Amino acid sequence: MRVRVRYFAMLREHLGPGGERTVRDGTTAAELWKAVVVAAAPAVRAVRVRFAVNEEYVPASHRLADGDELAVFPPVSGG
Amino acid sequence: MFAITRDPIDLPALTRAVADRRAGAVVTFVGTTRNHNVGRKVIRLEYEAYERMAKQEMRRLAKQAQSRWPLHRIAMVHRIGIVPVGDASVAIAVSAAHRTEAFEACHWLIDRLKEIVPIWKKEHYRGGQTWIGPQQGGLPKPKPTARRPPRHTSKHTKR
Repeated sequence: MRVRVRYFAMLREHLGPGGERTVRDGTTAAELWKAVVVAAAPAVRAVRVRFAVNEEYVPASHRLADGDELAVFPPVSGG
Repeated sequence: MFAITRDPIDLPALTRAVADRRAGAVVTFVGTTRNHNVGRKVIRLEYEAYERMAKQEMRRLAKQAQSRWPLHRIAMVHRIGIVPVGDASVAIAVSAAHRTEAFEACHWLIDRLKEIVPIWKKEHYRGGQTWIGPQQGGLPKPKPTARRPPRHTSKHTKR
């Protein structure tokens, strides 16, 4: 299945804005992220990320579905 | 009004957005960009948002506030892009029949916005820049003693 991945803030600076990825059916947000960070800089691996699917916060164990948009965030710091 | 904007925040428009003839109080919070943080001199700030989700989360917070306090209207605006030092980066307005609930709700809303709305701040210094997050110690940790929910027994907070 295909999902669209988006990165924000320092993750976007390290990894780019994201894009389409093909993953196995039933892949969780955490599994996809693990596959990404394995090749990333230590600064990226150290980030405690949060996930959102289709603009809703989800737990790391959330199973992705075909066509989902997965956003991966560093801790938010608005205000 | 729940907005993410690249322009300076229009505070009179924010206040007008919560105007209500039943209201006896309008409380506004305006967050401005500081010229220093954890001992460093800040030249300017830059904000980024996951815009659609940020607006949705602001609306969700407003709904939660409406269910906790007897409020009339709520408006929330966050500016993104480069924000010069001293300018407003975020503004919240709440109208209610009485000031107590308006103050409490406004305080709760800005605390929650900083915890969950997907917006990120980057500080630019002379000779450097850094994204701000809890790991940099740039933000106060949320206090473990959460603000108590309002008591709806007093005559001032009764719906």
